[in-house]
Amino acid sequence: MNTLAYIIYLLITYLITVRVGLVFFRNGRIFILGLLKDDVSLTDAINRILLIGYYLVNLGYAALMISTWNTIHSWMELYLSITVMTGKIVMTLAVMHYINMLVIYFISKRNRTILQP
Amino acid sequence: MASTLNFTAYLIYLPIVIFLTWYVAHTLFKNSKVFMHDIFNGKTDIALATNKLFETGFYLINLGFAFWVMEITHGILDNRDMLETLSAKIGGYCISLGLMLFFNLYLFFRGRRKAKARFAPLSTVPKIEG
Repeated sequence: MNTLAYIIYLLITYLITVRVGLVFFRNGRIFILGLLKDDVSLTDAINRILLIGYYLVNLGYAALMISTWNTIHSWMELYLSITVMTGKIVMTLAVMHYINMLVIYFISKRNRTILQP
Repeated sequence: MASTLNFTAYLIYLPIVIFLTWYVAHTLFKNSKVFMHDIFNGKTDIALATNKLFETGFYLINLGFAFWVMEITHGILDNRDMLETLSAKIGGYCISLGLMLFFNLYLFFRGRRKAKARFAPLSTVPKIEG
């Protein structure tokens, strides 16, 4: 039963991580572009490195959480533990995302290149 | 028997919270484009990117919270107990969703006020007469 739970869990986590990563990759580019004063090639390089780092951290964390899993006896426990573990991962993702946005906000506030016309 | 009804409760809870989150986020971030437009002084691309990032964050934190608190610790024995437990859970989640909604609205209004204060001052300088 546990193996099934791990497979479903990793599948869900992988899908969420990749989708969210792509959203960040597309929409975060313009912010880096503003911070680096329109240096396109450097921006794309940094953006790609950030994406890879994000995947590594998240999937690694998701795989690490498996070691804390309880033994599963029934379908109900399977459903419950998959949902709760996915919830934890997604909450962590959200907190990291908000910290990132705050960092971008403070940097742009400091040098005023992105918000000012 | 106890585990069967718990499972039913989970099966009812999950679609409802996902639908609620989707509906609230969809409504909020469809209408927040106007605010973003004001905040970034008409720069459409950066306004839309910020909107999308906020939307993703909203989904992540709310759905994560909903999944995280799904567990019902006591065994549910009859239908009445299940209804009461479910309404308490979904109602509590609705309140937290509402608080997040108002927090986001506060951020939008604050950003709009700050942007206005930053972009407008030149036009309000009084004319010097004489």
